[in-house]
Amino acid sequence: MKVRRIFTIVKMELTRQVKDPLVLVFTTLLVPLLILLFGLAMNSKPAWDTPYTVFEHMVPGLLVYACILTIYDVASSVAGERQLGLQRRINTSPLTTTEYITSQLIAYSVKPLIQFGIGYGVAYALGYRPPDMTFVRYLLVIVFLLLLTFCSVGFGLITAHLAKSASAAGGLAFAFIVPQQILSSIIPPWVMGLENVAKAMPSYYAQDSLYFYLFNTAEPLTNSTLWMNFGILLAISVVIYIAGVFVYEKMKNK
Amino acid sequence: MFNAKESEIINSDKIHDNSNSFSIEVKNLKKHFTGKKNLEDVKAVDGITFQVENGEFFGLLGPNGAGKTTTINMLTGLIKPTEGTVMVGGYSVAKDLKKIKEMTNVCPQEPSVYKFLSGMANIKFFGNLHLVPKEIMLKRAEELLKMLGLYEARKRNTKGYSGGMLRQLNLIISLINDPNILYLDEPTVGMDPRARRKVWDFLRTLKEQKKTIILTTHYIEEAEALCDRVAIIDYGKLIALDAPKTLIKQYEVTNLEEVFMKITGRRIMEGI
Repeated sequence: MKVRRIFTIVKMELTRQVKDPLVLVFTTLLVPLLILLFGLAMNSKPAWDTPYTVFEHMVPGLLVYACILTIYDVASSVAGERQLGLQRRINTSPLTTTEYITSQLIAYSVKPLIQFGIGYGVAYALGYRPPDMTFVRYLLVIVFLLLLTFCSVGFGLITAHLAKSASAAGGLAFAFIVPQQILSSIIPPWVMGLENVAKAMPSYYAQDSLYFYLFNTAEPLTNSTLWMNFGILLAISVVIYIAGVFVYEKMKNK
Repeated sequence: MFNAKESEIINSDKIHDNSNSFSIEVKNLKKHFTGKKNLEDVKAVDGITFQVENGEFFGLLGPNGAGKTTTINMLTGLIKPTEGTVMVGGYSVAKDLKKIKEMTNVCPQEPSVYKFLSGMANIKFFGNLHLVPKEIMLKRAEELLKMLGLYEARKRNTKGYSGGMLRQLNLIISLINDPNILYLDEPTVGMDPRARRKVWDFLRTLKEQKKTIILTTHYIEEAEALCDRVAIIDYGKLIALDAPKTLIKQYEVTNLEEVFMKITGRRIMEGI
C-alpha cells in the first residue's frame, strides 16, 4: 500500500469539495446551514418538560445527518467517475483496490468531521451548550460519526453499482438516505414513538449515542446501552462496507 | 524526447528478463458476452492470435463493433478473457497484472480527465498514481505540454478546454510514466486535421524511442502512416495481419483504406 497514491486521491476528493460549488454547498455546508436555519427558527421549548429548546434536541441528529449525506457524495462521485471513464483509467494504473478504498474512507471521513466542526461551532454560536462536555465525550461523538460514515461509504459504493449514471446514483442514494433521515436523525425517533422501527437504521445507533453524550451527564464509558450501540453499529458498518467493496470490485471496470 | 538516464530510473525495475523479442503475445484470445434471455452469446473476440515485437508500432483496425476495444481491454486487464492467454512484457495478464500496469499505460478513446482540475493537476494526479518521481514528473509534463502545444493552458481548468485540447491532454497523461508499452484507443478521433498531424508527428517521436505502441483507429490513413504492421479484425476474428505495404501489394490496391474496404466491405455494405 503506497501512501503517496492514497493521499493523491484524498487530495483530489477534497479539491472536488471546494471547486465544485454544488458539492460544496450540498455536502459540506448543508448541515451547518441547516443548523443555522433551525437554530434561528426553532428556539422555543417543546411540549414536554425539558430545559432545552427544540433546536437543541435536533443538534445530535443534524450532526448524524451529515454522515448520512456521505451516501450521496460517494455514490454520485464514483458513478460520475465511471461514466467519464475515469474509473477505467484509474484501474489501468498500478493503484490497488485497497489503496482506492482506503483513500475514499479517509476523504469521506474528513468531510463529516469538518461538518461537525462547523456545525457544532454554529450551534454553539447560537447558544447551544451541552452539559459536561469533556474531551472523552467529544472523542466518543467523533468515533460514532466515523463509524456511521464508514457505513455510508459502503452504501454509497453499493448505490454507485446499482445506478447507471451519476445523476441516477444521486437520486438512488436517497433511497438509503431518506429512511435514516426520517426515522433516526434530525428528529429523535422517541419523539414520534418510532424507536423500534428506527432500530433497523444504522443511523439510530449513532443518533442515540450522540444524544446521550450531548444531553446526559452520566458516565459514558460504563453505559451498557452505549456499548451495545457501538457493537451493533460496528457490525452493521463492517457488513455494509464489505458489501460495498465487493460490488465496487465487480463494477469498477464497467 | 526524454533524457535517457531518467527513463532508466523509471524503467530499470520493470523490464522483465524476456527470452524472446515480443512485447505482447496473444494466443487464441476469446471474449464471449452472455446474451440476455432468448438471445445468443455475443462473440466479441473469437480466437485471435498475434504477437507484437518490442518497439513495434502495431495497428488494430476494424469496423465498429469488430472487437478492437474489447481486445485492448483484455490486454490491459480491464476485462477477463473467456479463453486464451495474454503475455505483456513477458508477464501474464492473468497472474502479474500489477507488474504489467507499471510498464504500460492506456490512452482511452474518450478523454478521461477531472474537469474541476487544471491540465497540470490532472497530469500530476495520474503521475502520482504511477509513483513517478516528482522532479522527473514535472520535467516530463512540461516537455510533453510544450510538444503538444498545451503549455500555456496548463494551469487552466480543463472545463474550458476544447475537444482537441482534452484529447491532447489525454495523450500526455498516458505518457507521464514513460511506459514501455502504450495503448492508444482512437487517439485522434474528433481532432481537426492540423491537430491530428501534430499528434502524428508526436507519435513518430515515440516510435523513434522504440516504444511498443498498439493503436486502434478508424482513420486508416493514420494506421498506414504510422504503423509497422496492422491487424484487421472483423466479427471478432483476425482477418489480416501484415505490414501496410505488404497488404496493399497482396490485395493489389493503392492504399490501406482500399485493403480495409475490400476485406471488410461486405460488413459496411450491410450497414452493420
